[in-house]
Amino acid sequence: SPEFKPRNKYQNARRVLNSAETQNLPGREEQLQELREFFTSHLETHTSGSLYVSGQPGTGKTACLSLLLRDPEFSKRLQRVYINCTSIASVGAVYKKLCSELQLKVSGRTERDHMEAIQRHLRTAKKMLLLVLDEIDQLCTSRQEVLYTIFEWPALPGARLLLVGIANSLDLTDRALMRLNARCELKPRLMHFPPYSKQQIVEIFKSRLAEAEVLDVFPPVTLQLLAAKVSAISGDVRRALDIGRRVVEIAEQQKRDGEKEFNMKALELDGKDKEEAKEKQDTLKPVQVTQVAAVLNKVYGASQNLEADIEDAFPLQQKLMLCTLVLMLRNERNKDISIGRLHEVYRRVCSKRNIHALDQAEFAGTVDLVETRGIIRIMRKKEPRLHKVLLQWDEEEVHASLSDKQLIASILSDTSCLGK
Amino acid sequence: SRLAEGTPRRSIQLSNIVEKRVFKEDEIISTPKRGRTKKVPEDEDEDEDEDYTPKKSIQKTPTRSRRMSTTTKPSTTPSKAISTPSKGAVAPMTPSQKMKKIRAGELSPSMQQRTDRPMEDSSKSQLQLAREQLHVSVVPTSLPCREKEFENIYAFLEGKIQDQCGGCMYVSGVPGTGKTATVTGVIRTLQRLAKKHELPAFEFLEINGMRLTEPRQAYVQIYKQLTGKTVSWEHAHSLLEKRFTTPAPRRVTTVLLVDELDILCNRRQDVVYNLLDWPTKSAAKLVVVTIANTMDLPERLLMGKVTSRLGLTRLTFQPYTHKQLQEIVTARLGGSQAFKGEAVQLVARKVAAVSGDARRALDICRRSTEIADADSANVKCVTMLHVQQALAEMIASAKVQAIKNCSRLEQIFLQAVAAEVTRTGVEETTFMGVYTQVETIAAFMGAAVPAPGRALRLCAKLGAERLIISEHSRNDLFQKILLNVSADDIHYALRVGEVSS
Repeated sequence: SPEFKPRNKYQNARRVLNSAETQNLPGREEQLQELREFFTSHLETHTSGSLYVSGQPGTGKTACLSLLLRDPEFSKRLQRVYINCTSIASVGAVYKKLCSELQLKVSGRTERDHMEAIQRHLRTAKKMLLLVLDEIDQLCTSRQEVLYTIFEWPALPGARLLLVGIANSLDLTDRALMRLNARCELKPRLMHFPPYSKQQIVEIFKSRLAEAEVLDVFPPVTLQLLAAKVSAISGDVRRALDIGRRVVEIAEQQKRDGEKEFNMKALELDGKDKEEAKEKQDTLKPVQVTQVAAVLNKVYGASQNLEADIEDAFPLQQKLMLCTLVLMLRNERNKDISIGRLHEVYRRVCSKRNIHALDQAEFAGTVDLVETRGIIRIMRKKEPRLHKVLLQWDEEEVHASLSDKQLIASILSDTSCLGK
Repeated sequence: SRLAEGTPRRSIQLSNIVEKRVFKEDEIISTPKRGRTKKVPEDEDEDEDEDYTPKKSIQKTPTRSRRMSTTTKPSTTPSKAISTPSKGAVAPMTPSQKMKKIRAGELSPSMQQRTDRPMEDSSKSQLQLAREQLHVSVVPTSLPCREKEFENIYAFLEGKIQDQCGGCMYVSGVPGTGKTATVTGVIRTLQRLAKKHELPAFEFLEINGMRLTEPRQAYVQIYKQLTGKTVSWEHAHSLLEKRFTTPAPRRVTTVLLVDELDILCNRRQDVVYNLLDWPTKSAAKLVVVTIANTMDLPERLLMGKVTSRLGLTRLTFQPYTHKQLQEIVTARLGGSQAFKGEAVQLVARKVAAVSGDARRALDICRRSTEIADADSANVKCVTMLHVQQALAEMIASAKVQAIKNCSRLEQIFLQAVAAEVTRTGVEETTFMGVYTQVETIAAFMGAAVPAPGRALRLCAKLGAERLIISEHSRNDLFQKILLNVSADDIHYALRVGEVSS
C-alpha cells in the first residue's frame, strides 16, 4: 500500500504473479469459446444439457467457468449457481446447499424434501439455470445415487438446466456414471483442458508481467527455461507462477544482501565514488538464468539434494541406520526387511565401529525420523519389531552418494556384519 | 486466547468454569475469586498481588499437566458455593444459561488460583534457576541457530502482508527443531512492527491439528478466534466461506498458522482443501503457514489438487548439529556457572547423534540438574558424571536388567527361545519347539522341567513384559513365539550374571 515504502519492481512482479483469480486468461481462448458456444446454443434452443470438464490441477478449469459466471452476457438470461463440492457437509447435503443458493422454500427438513423442492423448481423455473459443480469427484459414493440424480435433472420433463461438472480425472463419467451412457440425451458432453504448453505459459507470464509493467524483470530466455521445465513436468500454471514468484523472491533477497555488503563498503569509500557506486546499485538487475535454474533444481531435483542432505545435519545414528539398510539390500536376497532384522545387523555394525548402539525402542524412533525425510517408508504391522522398512529412493543413487564418505564406505563393504 | 480447546461441547464441565463474567466498564462489580477474600479483608491486597506474581502465567502455553488438572480434577470450588449467593443482584444461572454464556464467549474460562504464593526468585539456588531456565516451555526471545529460517519466513510473510495478497507456505522438519517457535517468533516481530505502523496491520489466527477432536472442528476454532463465539462446524464453515469469498473493503490480511497439518488430512481432504483454497480467492487476503513433520507430505498424502494449491514455497528445518545444540543450551543458561562446559558438550553430542531434537537436550540437562541437586555431595555444579547418569537414564534401555531380574525358569525359557531360533533359522518359533528346548536346557542344568501348563504361564508373563511376543495361550502348543529382545542381549545378560554370582 502506498503509505508504506515505495515499491520496487521485484515487489510488483511478485504481487502480479500471485496464484489468485484473474480477469483475462491467455492460453484458454479456445476453451472459453467452446464453453460460450455450448451455453449460447442451449440458451437459444431452450434445451437442457450437461457438460463434464476435466483436466489436471492448475489448468484453468475453475478460472474459465468463474469468468463465464461473471459474464454480463449471460447474467440476464441465466440464473447462475456455483457450488464447490468440498464445502458441503456430506454427499447428500448438496441438495440443501443448492436450495439455499436458489433461495427455495422447503417444507421438510430431510434430504428428500430438499431434492423434491429442487425438482419442482426445475420444472417451473422462469429462467434457465446454470449449475456449476466444482470438484464433483467429492460426490462419488458406492451407489452414486446423488451423482445420478443430479445428472438426470437435464432429462426432467420441462427442466431447463445447464449442468457443468468439474473434476480432475478424464474418465470420471465413464467410471462412475456408466449408466448415463445408456441414454444418449443424458450423456454429458466431455471437455478436456489440456496441460499448458510451453508457449502458453510464456504468454501467461508475459501478460501478467505486462499488467504491472515489469516485463524487464524477466528476460525472455529465463521465461523460456521456466516454461519449458514446468510444461515438461506438469503443465500446472500454479506451479509455474509459484516458481516465478520464488525466483523473484530469491533475486530480491540476493539484491538486498548485495546492498548490505555495499553499504559496508560504502563506509570506506569517499564522496564521489560513493555516488557513482550508488547509481550502479540502484539499477534493477533482471532475473538471471542461473537463479531460475537453481530454483528449478531445488523444486524438481530430489536426489541431487541427497548428497548435501547426508553431508550436513544428518544425525550419525540415522546415517548408520541407512547404511545398514543399503548394506542389507545389496547383499541379501531377501528384500523384505523388518525393523527387528535391521536392528540386529545395525548392532553388529555399531559394535564393530565401537559406537554405542541404540536399543530397539530408540531405534524404531530413529527409523521414524528418517521416514519423515521421505528416504524410507515403514509398513506398519501389529508389532513394532515386524514393521517392514522399504527404501523409497533409488538404491543405486543412495549407494553412490553414501559410498563417497569414508566411514560409511567402510560399512558398505563390510559384509561380515550380516552374519549368517 | 490460547485456552480455546477443540473440545466438543458436551465435555465442557460446568464445574471447571469458575464464574468470572465480562462486565461492561461502567459496572463495578468485583467478582470474588475465593471465598476467603471476603471474610479476611487484609488478605485482599495479597490476593491482588497474586494476579501479577504467578510465574507460571508468564508462559504462553498451558503445559499439559496444567491442562489435565483442569479436566480431571473435580474442582471442589468453595468459591462458587459462597460467591454465587453473595452476588446478590445477579441471579444464579441455570446450567443452560451458563452454557449459553460460555458459547457466546461472555464467560472467560479461569483456573483456580493457588492459595499460597509462589517462591521468590531471590531465594532460589543457582541450580534451581538453571533448571527453570532450561525448561522447554521457556521460549527465548530470539532463537539461536535459526536465523536463516527466521529470515526466510519473515521475508515471505512480510512480502505477503505488504502485497496484500494471499499465499501458502509449507514448513517441515523433525520434532524439536524449532519450527513452531520460529514461526510464532516471526509473527510476534511482525505484530510489533504493525503496532509501530511500519507494516500494514494483520490478524493472526492459529490452529493445531492435534487439539481438534475432528478435522472439521478447525472451522469452529478459526471462527472462535475471529469472533469469540462457539458455533457448530457447518455454521462456522459457511460464515468463514462468506468472509473469505466476498470482497470487503478494508479487509485486513489474515495470517493463519496450521500446526500438525497431517492430522487434518482425512480421506476426503475437504478441510485441507478449503484451508488452502481460500488463499487463492482474491477477496480473502489469507496467508496460510502450514507446519508438519514429514518433508514429502504434500506428495505422499495430499491429493493432486491440494498439492497444487499448497505451492512450492517450502522450508525444511534440519535437525540441530551438536554445535548448535551446545549453543542453544549455553544461551539458555546465560552466564550461569551451573554447568561444566564439557557436560553440555556431552549432552549435545549424544542427542545430535540420535535425533537432533532440542527438547531432548533440554530435558536431559534438566534431569542432570535434578541428579546434581539430589547428590549427597551437595554440589553446586553439574559435572560430566551427573550428565552421564542422566543419559543412562534417558537413553539407555532396561532390557538387559529385565532379563537379569527374571526368575530362573523364565531365563531358561528365554534361552530356549533363542536356541530354537538359531536351530530353525526362522524368527518365528512355536511353543512346541521351544518346550523341547526348555526340556533339554533344564536337563542340562539339572533343573526341574515345568509342566507345559506352567510353561504357558511363564510364556504369558514374558509376553506381558514384552520380552517376547506371543499369541493368546488358547492355542497352547501351537502358539507362535517371537523374541522381542535380541539374542545377544539374552546371552550377555545371563553370562555376565553367571560370572558375577
